[in-house]
Amino acid sequence: MNDAQINQTTAESLSAAQNPKVREKRPIDILRERHGGMSPEMKEYYKEQTRIKQLLKEALARGAKTVPELARECGLEPSVTMWNLMAMRRYGKVVEEELRGEYYAYRLKEVK
Amino acid sequence: MDEFKKRYDGLVIGGGIAGMQAALDLAEQDYEVLLIEKDPSIGGVMIGLNKVFPTLDCSSCICTPRMAESVHHKNIKIQAYSEVTSIRRHDPGFKVTVRKKPRYVIEDKCIGCSQCELECPVDVPHEFDHGLGARRAIYIPHGNAIPQVATLDVDHCTFCGRCAKVCPTQCVDYTQEAEDVEVDVGAVIVTTGLNITPMDAKKEYGGGHLINVMNPLAMEAIQASNGPFGRPLRPSDGKVPRTIAYVQCAGSRDHTIGIPYCSRVCCMYALKQALLLRHYLHDVEITLYHMDIRAFGKGYEQFYRRVMNEGVNIVKGKVAKITEVENQDLLLRVERLDEGGRLEERRYDLVVLSQGLVPAWQGKGVLDIELGDDGFFKSISPKISPVLTSAEGIFVAGVAAGPKDIPDAIVEAGAAAMEAAIHLEGIGYREQVLTASQS
Ligand SMILES: Cc1cc2nc3c(=O)[nH]c(=O)nc-3n(C[C@H](O)[C@H](O)[C@H](O)COP(=O)(O)OP(=O)(O)OC[C@H]3O[C@@H](n4cnc5c(N)ncnc54)[C@H](O)[C@@H]3O)c2cc1C
Repeated sequence: MNDAQINQTTAESLSAAQNPKVREKRPIDILRERHGGMSPEMKEYYKEQTRIKQLLKEALARGAKTVPELARECGLEPSVTMWNLMAMRRYGKVVEEELRGEYYAYRLKEVK
Repeated sequence: MDEFKKRYDGLVIGGGIAGMQAALDLAEQDYEVLLIEKDPSIGGVMIGLNKVFPTLDCSSCICTPRMAESVHHKNIKIQAYSEVTSIRRHDPGFKVTVRKKPRYVIEDKCIGCSQCELECPVDVPHEFDHGLGARRAIYIPHGNAIPQVATLDVDHCTFCGRCAKVCPTQCVDYTQEAEDVEVDVGAVIVTTGLNITPMDAKKEYGGGHLINVMNPLAMEAIQASNGPFGRPLRPSDGKVPRTIAYVQCAGSRDHTIGIPYCSRVCCMYALKQALLLRHYLHDVEITLYHMDIRAFGKGYEQFYRRVMNEGVNIVKGKVAKITEVENQDLLLRVERLDEGGRLEERRYDLVVLSQGLVPAWQGKGVLDIELGDDGFFKSISPKISPVLTSAEGIFVAGVAAGPKDIPDAIVEAGAAAMEAAIHLEGIGYREQVLTASQS
């Protein structure tokens, strides 16, 4: 830390001490601190899940698909596709369509 | 949620069907009962079942009224998402410490609206669906959960703070911590129920690594229309299964895994699931491999006949090995006991292991009562009063005492409540407590 940075930090902590609004920790920060924040595994899990959901959304935006079709198009394992698709279904993002051979097709739910 | 009282007549540990029944039967006799459940909701295994044998009644339609009755009973205090951490003898009864785990939600204020759950950005494998479906980091366990309040699973939290922002009643409280509460009780009823044999118990059946080899509770979940897939599908790829095998005694009657006893319900639940799958799936072929069928209860033999008549193949055969082949299908190597031990190999879309029942809790470090050779709490009088344990004033009921079905668990719970009431009267619990508080 150079002198300028030290001065700035000191000024911040002084103003924090004088200003209760700055000093007061938000409850969510208390929880995060108590639990040491997100674990590296959890960060990776969340990042990967966000990526998969995005891929599935984009593929489904191009039309209804079965799990094997989605998996091929997105370059994902069918079981990973299935789990994430069912999560999207549960939370109302995806709906089941017709049976195509041995598999049901799924499509994005229209947002009215 | 009403606060804890300092004293209860009875403590019930475990809020499954046996625990609820025991609590209700004591409460109806005007005893005050504290019921402790470790999960976020009461209901036990039964609330996760699809239908029950042999009547094929909807399981939650029977279980939910019991849950509601228990929670609304004036003499019952239900404390879910909590555990008993110590029980010490303290004349005339016991001193008990209960640890309330933090839900990070103020139960009294939560209206169960699910706004927080819908807003939460992270999907987590849901315990209630045995990992097949998703919940959010903050969630209400299921539609029939009691209490109908949210719980934050902090291990999967991204600490985004959105749940608190959208909550219409400001009930999310990130500052909650575990809390210990001490109470006095006069009698204890243990109804901590079952787990199923772990999936990795048998290496020859894939040791838990084959995605299309399912446990029977997961099968209950996917059979339910409100289950994780909305209909029975293969977890590996969503295929509608055309061929399904049931492997009986996959986790009981087996010395090699230390579970030599018969779990009693597996034949019946497998027959039930097989029949229902025949109803749900058009043209499905189902084979049930067994050593012998044990249809022990009232109406069970007739049910077994019905399942056979409705086209389920019942084969006396021992499944020696399950291997995953192309497309994550499963190849079963079967010794056909009905054909002099001839070996055959057959391919299936899906396999269900009829796993046995093991105790969910053995009271380690908390309850000083004897266990039987099978690991369940031991009855000191199995013929005359099977609910008596090696400790005076502590009773056991339901699967905590050994494998049994729902009707037997309910009957045993009633017996435990009666024995507890007799014990409370015998020691004059209320009078003693009253005298002690006046002196
Ligand atoms: C796949 C399957 C299908 C079945 N189908 C049927 C059927 O159709 N018909 C039938 O009659 N029977 C059926 N059964 C059997 C039935 O599930 C049991 O008979 C019944 O659930 C026993 O109830 P219980 O209250 O003893 O135990 P449980 O249902 O296991 O309840 C025990 C409760 O105690 C809680 N608990 C555990 N440890 C602790 C602790 N330390 N502190 C606090 N709480 C704790 C648990 O979370 C749970 O809520 C089936 C079983 C299986 C595995």
